[in-house]
Amino acid sequence: MSIVPKETIEVIAQSVGIPTLPADVSAALAPDVEYRLREIMQEAIKCMRHAKRTVLTADDVDSALSLRNVEPVYGFASGDPLRFKRAVGHKDLFYIDDREVDFKEIIEAPLPKAPLDTAVVAHWLAIEGVQPAIPENPPIDAISAPTENIRTEHVKDDGLPVDIKLPVKHILSRELQMYFDKIVELTMSRSSTPVFREALVSLSKDSGLHPLVPYFSYFIADEVTRSLADLPVLFALMRVVQSLLRNPHVHIEPYLHQLMPSMITCIVAKRLGHRLSDNHWELRDFSANLVASVCRKYGHAYHNLQIRLTKTLINAFLDPHKALTQHYGAVQGISALGTSAVRLLLLPNLEPYMQLLDPELQLEKQTNEMKRKEAWRVYGALLCAAGKCLYERLKLFPGLLSASTQPLLRSNKRVATNNPNKRKSSTDLSASQPPLKKMASDVSMSSMSSAATMAGNMPGSVDGFSAQLPNPSMMQASSSGQMADGIAAAGLIRRDHGGNHHAQMVSAVLRQAWKEDQDAGHLLASLHDVFGEAIFSFIQPPEISFFL
Amino acid sequence: MEDEEMEKKVQQYLHRKGFRLTELALQEERNRLSTTSLSDVSLSRSDNDPARYYDGYNKLRTWAYNSLDQYKHELLRVLYPVFIHCFMDLVAEGHTQEARSFFHTFREDHELMHSRDLQKLEGILSPLHLEEMDLARSLRENKFRIKLCEYSYELLLQYLQKTQALVMLGIINERIIFEVSAGQPSLISDDADVVALVGTSKDLAKQINQKEVHWGLLEDSVEERMEKALSDSDKTEAESKDADAEDNNKARNSLIKKSSEGGKQGGPLKKLKKDKVVGATGKNNKSEASMVSAAPRVKPELTLPATPVEVEQSILEDLRNRAQLNNLALPSVSFYTFLNTHNGLNCSSISNDGSLVVGGFSDSSVKVWDMAKIGQPAKTSSSQGENGSSQGEHLSSTSEGKRPYTLFQGHSGPVYSAAFSPFGDFLLSSSSDSTIRLWSTKLNANLVCYKGHNYPVWDVQFSPVGHYFASASHDRTARIWSMDKIQPLRIMAGHLADVDCVQWHVNCNYIATGSSDKTVRLWDVQTGECIRMFIGHRSMVLSLAMSPDGRYMASGDEDGTIMMWDLSTGRCVSPLAGHNSCVWSLAFSCEGALLASGSADCTVKLWDVASSTKALKMDDTKAGSTNRLRLLKALPTKSTPVYNLRFSRRNLLFATGALSLGS
Repeated sequence: MSIVPKETIEVIAQSVGIPTLPADVSAALAPDVEYRLREIMQEAIKCMRHAKRTVLTADDVDSALSLRNVEPVYGFASGDPLRFKRAVGHKDLFYIDDREVDFKEIIEAPLPKAPLDTAVVAHWLAIEGVQPAIPENPPIDAISAPTENIRTEHVKDDGLPVDIKLPVKHILSRELQMYFDKIVELTMSRSSTPVFREALVSLSKDSGLHPLVPYFSYFIADEVTRSLADLPVLFALMRVVQSLLRNPHVHIEPYLHQLMPSMITCIVAKRLGHRLSDNHWELRDFSANLVASVCRKYGHAYHNLQIRLTKTLINAFLDPHKALTQHYGAVQGISALGTSAVRLLLLPNLEPYMQLLDPELQLEKQTNEMKRKEAWRVYGALLCAAGKCLYERLKLFPGLLSASTQPLLRSNKRVATNNPNKRKSSTDLSASQPPLKKMASDVSMSSMSSAATMAGNMPGSVDGFSAQLPNPSMMQASSSGQMADGIAAAGLIRRDHGGNHHAQMVSAVLRQAWKEDQDAGHLLASLHDVFGEAIFSFIQPPEISFFL
Repeated sequence: MEDEEMEKKVQQYLHRKGFRLTELALQEERNRLSTTSLSDVSLSRSDNDPARYYDGYNKLRTWAYNSLDQYKHELLRVLYPVFIHCFMDLVAEGHTQEARSFFHTFREDHELMHSRDLQKLEGILSPLHLEEMDLARSLRENKFRIKLCEYSYELLLQYLQKTQALVMLGIINERIIFEVSAGQPSLISDDADVVALVGTSKDLAKQINQKEVHWGLLEDSVEERMEKALSDSDKTEAESKDADAEDNNKARNSLIKKSSEGGKQGGPLKKLKKDKVVGATGKNNKSEASMVSAAPRVKPELTLPATPVEVEQSILEDLRNRAQLNNLALPSVSFYTFLNTHNGLNCSSISNDGSLVVGGFSDSSVKVWDMAKIGQPAKTSSSQGENGSSQGEHLSSTSEGKRPYTLFQGHSGPVYSAAFSPFGDFLLSSSSDSTIRLWSTKLNANLVCYKGHNYPVWDVQFSPVGHYFASASHDRTARIWSMDKIQPLRIMAGHLADVDCVQWHVNCNYIATGSSDKTVRLWDVQTGECIRMFIGHRSMVLSLAMSPDGRYMASGDEDGTIMMWDLSTGRCVSPLAGHNSCVWSLAFSCEGALLASGSADCTVKLWDVASSTKALKMDDTKAGSTNRLRLLKALPTKSTPVYNLRFSRRNLLFATGALSLGS
């Protein structure tokens, strides 16, 4: 009848040393206990209100108890509200997580930092009824363009005297000017210092930066064209863009058209940086991801944003006269846009492109060390993009995969008849560890170029791939680094297969790849033809067994 | 008796109005009810059966819900008192189990209007509790008064007689007084006024509210002298002063007659006659000052301290530089944020010129910051006309390696309130150790400890002229003190629960108190009597503010509701506007055109008082017409609940709050 059951009373009685409490006594006590509880809570809520809080704390209950001349309950004093945990298996049973603490640990722990002392700061919450956009104030809604504002004001004018103040035009406060100058200086000259990192955090968090956005976008566009040869500056600029994009209080949409060309430049420019050793690959990757994030964020608002972007990228990719670095950027840009972009744009063009790329990859045909390295980069990027696409495909349609084992096997068989060489190597792979090593040594023996180093590297890197199987994104991250070796090795294997006898069929399959109903098996088979075993590293282990 | 006749009348009425379906429904219902009740009565006649309450209430409820739409809301009002008395009767008779189930079955109906009372009543489980709990006791001791129109009343009586619902009839007879009014049923929108009678006898309230209140401003105040000086220099017309005063009086009399329809203008009139020469008001005055100057003048009932000359000079200076605020010219708001309070800040207050800020903490300390030293010099003076670029830089100013504040230690419990004297030289703080302490901000020392309350002192406020102060406490009293005596001068007793906040009237003759019993009361300082009782809030009253012309009062409560009251009539001027959470603070601008409210929902809101009160003056003929306060602007803060608000004499608004992260 009361929310405190009489069993509870009995338990409490036992805990204070009354072993057997008569049933009628506990039944009579139970309602009274509930009443007293409510009474104390009522007083505690009063104390809470007078402490100007809306959350009840243990202190409030203590003061309520002392109001009633009752000894407070010790041991629960804490500034924070207590954290209750739900008991497993019970719907409405909660307990306080009271961990046992090792006394020694506490003694040995370093002294905690002294809490900061209370301080008072002042700011303008409003000036003549208008809230200034300063960090102390909550972000105001995005400022609409002045023209619109005037129009809405005219509409409202007929009714009540609504006073809308026009946004102040062309007035940049001294603080903002200083801020802008500081950021510019840091970006241009001290982009590796921790101060710059702080500045980036401020750019991505501060409200009230909105008035500076046009200045920033102009500065970035201007500076990217001017300092194409200066890699650190370009990188710093892209980081500034990233921070601005992240800032929730900045209304950057109207300035995207100014920023996008700069970003795309940083992806597909022919030369970035003036030294050969400059790691412009990283900048391209970074900018590609940035552009992709813009597409994701604002794609719904600007329908043609992604279309225009992909057009630019695919043009760069398909033009054989463009430099390999540009191809690389285009591939990375497309793959950052997601697997559907890869399926739609890259895969159909994969076969002809590989024919173009092939001579560049081989030592005999491309003697320029630099060029060859670049070609391998492009190859790695392509492999990564195709592999990720495949991985996504397999993840999306697991049912499709199992259903397609039949035709897959058939296609495998056909492939086998066409290409006994490949058949052999795939069976090798399926026989797991020892044959794999054997194959590796096979490969290393058959390949003449840089054989000595490769032989040592191969098994390790292949193993590494299979270990990383479920995580292709990680591999993608490392694509520019140590993976290059592995890719090179995989490429060597690929060349073992000899010429592409069935190039026709393969490219047909790839061209169909964008169709949703195209089953993953065909895709895999064709990709396998293009890339060789390297593609298997993108398939999860149980699925591999399907294919082999 | 004349039941038949009545019934006939009803039918005729319905017939005439063309309520065909209703007519049928009524007939059907009547038949059904009469048959069921007959059988029921015969069945459950055993006198001590707890089920009779259940049955009786259930039937009354179904009947009320099925009654005519036009009268339904009036009849539903009857249900709440019947419900709680049924429940309490059950408890009193010892049927705890049945009382519980009865309560839970029907509580939903009343959840919307009375949720807080229901929460309290839910805990009652034994007859003993009925005696002990204030709410229950006052409910038992007092009667509900319910307004009904004639017809609803007759419907109800008819029902009760027809169905022989003796239990219900008993409760209704015993606990409810009906105020039957002729004509149409009242509008649904008036419900708040009609139903919100809880725990206090309306008779008493009515009786109390008959007394007269002289809400005018003090004679010969600084403002007045200022105005006089202005107008003297302005006009060079050589009219005779007498004629002028006569004119003014007439104009004012007529205005008052128009405005206070309740017939309570006797007092002001009398006072007016005593008024000798008042500064130039009325037609030849500037329109902007009209609101304040139109108020009548009264004599102080307390002996007031003299204002030092230099202080007066500075006040005059401030008045000359005051920014005029109205619904188009909104104030600038300077916000003082407390950082790193670790949930310990209980209250804060700002001195009149905004230069001093005090915080009262739960660790018994009181800390005072001198904002002038914190790198915000001349905050009050030159700030009004400038634009956003004047935003000052925040120097942490701990350069001396010392504390940037003055620490006052002396209390032995959480400090719940702190207030500066009007000239900023004294500071009062009240604490849960049931004492009030007076501190000197010049000497940085404790001067006096006032003991008198028996329980925590929730609020303390200096009078507008200083020297006197009022305190509000958990012991259900408010007390008036003077700085030179350690005993209270007056004790105001009468609230049924904690007195949570206190506020002085501008003419120092009255104080207003807000309480957990959901009423606001106005007390005469001289006699210590309660002279007004304002009923309408649905939860504990947390903040009060008096308009500068002394006519209106605003009160804010725990639910976020803000109500404006007319002191002379005791009526609510504009109800139920507000916030989403507790209203911690309210402040009127210096001419009374704006009301600022600060709340736990992290906003400062500015309300248009002038237009709503003006509208009220216009259509005084319609007594019941109430219009809501118009929201002019909501200023959100960055997760900082607003603890305190104050307009400076130059109409700059100061606000304080503690930054609360992670909530």
